[in-house]
Amino acid sequence: MGLLSIIRKIKRKEKEMRILMVGLDNSGKTTIVLKINGEDTSVISPTLGFNIKTITYQKYTLNIWDVGGQRTIRSYWRNYFEQTDGLVWVVDSSDLRRLDDCKMELDNLLKEERLSGASLLILANKQDIKGALTPAEIAKVLNLEAMDKTRHWKIVGCSAYTGEGLLEGFDWLVQDVASRIYMLD
Amino acid sequence: MEEGPEPNLPTKTLGLNADLQKKHQAMLDRLSNRHQARLDNSLARRSDSGNSSESTSSFLSRFSDSKQSIDSQLADSRLIAQSDPSRLKSHFANLSSSISDLEILVAENSYFLPSYEVRSSLKTISDLKQNLETLNSELIPKKKFSFKNKATTKKEPIKEPEPLKYDTVSLSNFKMPDSPGFRNKTNETLVKKFKGTDIGEFTLSDLDSCEVRLTGCCNAVFMNRLKNCKVYLGPVIGSILIEEVEGCVFVLASHQIRIHLAKKCDFYLRVRSRPIIEDSNVVRFAPYCLDYEGIEMDLQKAGLSEETGNWANVDDFKWLRAVQSPNWCVLPENERVGKVRVEDFESRIEGS
Ligand SMILES: Nc1nc2c(ncn2[C@@H]2O[C@H](COP(=O)(O)OP(=O)(O)OP(=O)(O)O)[C@@H](O)[C@H]2O)c(=O)[nH]1
Ligand SMILES: [Mg+2]
Repeated sequence: MGLLSIIRKIKRKEKEMRILMVGLDNSGKTTIVLKINGEDTSVISPTLGFNIKTITYQKYTLNIWDVGGQRTIRSYWRNYFEQTDGLVWVVDSSDLRRLDDCKMELDNLLKEERLSGASLLILANKQDIKGALTPAEIAKVLNLEAMDKTRHWKIVGCSAYTGEGLLEGFDWLVQDVASRIYMLD
Repeated sequence: MEEGPEPNLPTKTLGLNADLQKKHQAMLDRLSNRHQARLDNSLARRSDSGNSSESTSSFLSRFSDSKQSIDSQLADSRLIAQSDPSRLKSHFANLSSSISDLEILVAENSYFLPSYEVRSSLKTISDLKQNLETLNSELIPKKKFSFKNKATTKKEPIKEPEPLKYDTVSLSNFKMPDSPGFRNKTNETLVKKFKGTDIGEFTLSDLDSCEVRLTGCCNAVFMNRLKNCKVYLGPVIGSILIEEVEGCVFVLASHQIRIHLAKKCDFYLRVRSRPIIEDSNVVRFAPYCLDYEGIEMDLQKAGLSEETGNWANVDDFKWLRAVQSPNWCVLPENERVGKVRVEDFESRIEGS
């Protein structure tokens, strides 16, 4: 009985999802969030702490946490793991030199128990830049195929400048999270 | 799918074995805690909106009030554990949502707060969470946290072999395409002009005692391991990332500039946003001073026609305090180079 009432409450109210955006500095996280929210992206400073954006997406309310990726503040990422429904890992596909770093940080993140239930969307950003690696190449470098079989994940190429790929990525993420969280229906 | 009745829920749940059921319950607990936290948060936010004064000092006083109240509640935890342990769980849940409220307060105010305030607030929040976590695992009997237990036991056996597997497949075996750039040069003058169509990214790496001149616009520039170089750049539409440089002079214009591991360098910048440094020292800043034929058009194309003054708004990620970071300073005017004029084509240097 207690169970049922909790579920009812969740069903009525819980159209919210908590999305955590992380990735190396300069990968384009803040630009992506502002772009999907239809805001100006022409003056963005590197993120010193974090931003929270609440965006209505389809019938859901997304609480997007965009956390700065500079090395000094990566240690704060763990502050935001709790209760994360969807994890977005943003990659600068034109930054070939730091892909090693990128892979290492992602591997560390995926070891986090508190994120183990989160759906993972990898955005291979900056596809508009000539010379950017394709999503398939990024997937290979990050060795995504070797990921834990229970993880729901997808990689999508995108550009925060043109907007290409962003909807495809977020559509998948929101659907995937919804089907897990609301599967009790 | 979402709005239907839920007649088959109980049977579904009852059909699960005991272990799963436990997990299920834990998840439901989490969800309902989260729900409560959200309610609290939205209440907190509503009461915020009445308060329109956005001054740093009012933020700071609210922040420190909340922090104090959280601190004292944290301190109460041990007493509660002794007197009424059944209350602990909700006590911790409340604490956790108070900390999220504090976090939201920071996020909502971060756009006008000085950078050191943002970072020290972040640090405070991080410490509070750490304290809460420690108390939580110390005071609440373990078996309630089946998730956590599982996590720790799971960690040891499977984590080790993974890196090996990764190493064999990863970067070393992946053939990187050669991206455009200047690499591994000593004592050379390196010149490149970007034309309308070949906008892309460009890399400068492992250069020693070189002079680099890139005119025209491009999308992104990466520099790493430069020593005793002079680097003159036309406007970059996206961002410039600089790592491991020493004894260099940079004249750069861009939307964003990130400087990591720089030592004894001078930067002449025009930036749309705040330049940042990390792990750097003895770096000095001055306004952009490049000139070449057509630079006005290029600047315009990159949205950099106007001086923003941001060249002096440097954020040092390694400096938490309110006083000026000792790692960087404004380059004294009498030590600045004058206008640097770069000729379009592969001409020789004319110093200036
Ligand atoms: N060409 C191109 N540039 C992009 C794209 N997305 C972001 N950028 C640029 O990349 C730079 C970094 O973008 P940000 O959004 O600040 O990156 P971030 O991941 O939030 O960085 P941190 O806050 O430091 O972690 C900016 O100069 C953006 O304009 C893209 O899709 N294409
Ligand atoms: Mg950012």
